[in-house]
Amino acid sequence: MIDAAVGMELPPLVKGPITREHLKAYAAASGDPNPMHLDDELARSAGHPGVFAHGMLSMGWLGQLLVEATGVGSVRRMKTRFARLTWPGEVITCRGRITRIVEEDGERRAECEIWTENQDGERKLVGSALLALPRA
Amino acid sequence: MPSKDMIGRVLSTGSATVTAEHVADFARALGDPNPLYVDGNAAARGPFGGIVAPPTYPIAFMTQAMAGGMDTFLELGLNFMTLVHGEQEFEYRRPIRAGETLTLTGRIADVYEKTGGSGTLDFVVLETEATAADGRQVFFSRNTLISRRA
Repeated sequence: MIDAAVGMELPPLVKGPITREHLKAYAAASGDPNPMHLDDELARSAGHPGVFAHGMLSMGWLGQLLVEATGVGSVRRMKTRFARLTWPGEVITCRGRITRIVEEDGERRAECEIWTENQDGERKLVGSALLALPRA
Repeated sequence: MPSKDMIGRVLSTGSATVTAEHVADFARALGDPNPLYVDGNAAARGPFGGIVAPPTYPIAFMTQAMAGGMDTFLELGLNFMTLVHGEQEFEYRRPIRAGETLTLTGRIADVYEKTGGSGTLDFVVLETEATAADGRQVFFSRNTLISRRA
């Protein structure tokens, strides 16, 4: 990413189809006890068609997208809004695009818009990130 | 329903040591094969001299490190059946390293409501700061929770 420029897209990262096994593994590893991700009956009683994925699972994939673009230790900030729920069976593509290049704290940094979308192009998480870039 | 009187209250505190096993479990649950997260030998030869954590690892570490807080959290009076994670923000000063001990403090930073066509939504913003043994900040987390009032 030495040639980073405004408008450049980060190489996309594809995840899924999401399974209930993914959700069980993420619940255990993250320590998130929320049964809405594990118990279909409870999720239905709350008005959902069934369990839905942890928002933080998708945000974790966005973290992987960023690190694969500019390297471990390069992420200065990331922020997402969980705009829509993500469901088992969906294939999620993580995407990012550079919106601005700035000089800050002695570093060259790229501001990016980031988002996840399903197989129909519906955006689920939307947010932004700030990445430190290597010196040209 | 959450009261603005709770703004500024400490929700929970704690400290814990980041273990390579926990970092690797978390990376595997994300399906992230980066050797700096999961392979101690490769990471030892890498730029940080050991295992480091992926960007969203703080969410798992916060759960592990911060004991208590549930009484204060319940006092907020959120509707758990409609509770969702609305927004999440992280700021990073440097990578989190396996083997280091971090001290965390979580606070209720804001409480507000919005009323729209589907009723009233309660918003609670939790801010958590993690510092290392040298007293310097390692990461900062801002977590917005939303519930629809019953």
